[in-house]
Amino acid sequence: MTASLTAGLDRIQDQIGYLVISEEGVLASAGELENDEVTAGVMMQMVRTASRFRLSGAAEPPFKRMSVILEDFVYTVTVSGQKVFVVKRQNNQQEPISV
Amino acid sequence: MGCCYSSENETQEQRNERKPLIPHPDPVSKPPNGTDWITTVPSARTDEQALLTSILTKTAQNIIDVSAADSVMMEQHEYMDKARQYSTKLAVLSNSLPQRKALALPSLTSQPHQVLASDLVPYSDVQQISKIAAYAYSAISQIKVDAKEELVVQFAIP
Amino acid sequence: MESTLEQHLDDTMKNPAVVGVLCTDHQGHNLGCRGSLSDEHGGVVSVLAKQAAALSKDPTDSPTVCLESESGNILVRSHGTITIAVHKIAS
Repeated sequence: MTASLTAGLDRIQDQIGYLVISEEGVLASAGELENDEVTAGVMMQMVRTASRFRLSGAAEPPFKRMSVILEDFVYTVTVSGQKVFVVKRQNNQQEPISV
Repeated sequence: MGCCYSSENETQEQRNERKPLIPHPDPVSKPPNGTDWITTVPSARTDEQALLTSILTKTAQNIIDVSAADSVMMEQHEYMDKARQYSTKLAVLSNSLPQRKALALPSLTSQPHQVLASDLVPYSDVQQISKIAAYAYSAISQIKVDAKEELVVQFAIP
Repeated sequence: MESTLEQHLDDTMKNPAVVGVLCTDHQGHNLGCRGSLSDEHGGVVSVLAKQAAALSKDPTDSPTVCLESESGNILVRSHGTITIAVHKIAS
């Protein structure tokens, strides 16, 4: 069961860790996110917040994936079958953000 | 203003959270302190009185009368009865909970691995929003009140 | 009084891919918006930015949150006391 959940995640290019979370807690974790309950908690909160977002007239949230982009890495998050999938990927498009 | 966590149905939910699970069997026998007189207010009351009464009623509902709770004695069989009543009620209510959980976590995709593996957001977009945010912040810092009229006005008293 | 920000929002909307822009303070109060993003989105946008900040260990590395779909993206980013959301459609 766990193997089928995570088999595809292992193969994602640039991934440096992942989490699979359900309402009950962390189902699977690996790499830099191994047993990272704190990140799992924040991601769960963010998914709940983001799922309240609606564009006018729409019944569904207007996104398939949520990304949190930091300088060195990116968290990509999605929800499928009542499970939250989080993959931490390296951000290779580096160049300092000039503001 | 459209703040999240401030919508109408949330206050409704909060109200429901505080509502007793099992209604008091005989609510008239124990009115909260000082609210007995409400029923004696004459029917021909003014709007103002009606408003005051509703405020008082609302306040009374929010008060937990600790002094009254002291005097309520319960026999052991009453405790058992209540416990049974509560567990029956909870069993009925919990049946409707899984549906609410389903609402809390929407299904965004049926192919999570594919969605997570697809290309990252273009770096130019991240750079663009960073610039927009920085400009907006500097624009906000320039806001100041441009008072054109006196804020305090003296009324001429004849 | 708020002409600088209003002007900035108008300029942002001139970008052909941008269909909505919103500016809120850190409490979700709307400071200005255009197009597809409106008053009702202020709360979610500011809460999302605040929650994302917990993921960055370096306070100078401010996160960008992006809600992605095939039709377009909604990007959210804080700067100082304000949070900006931009709705871009796929070009």
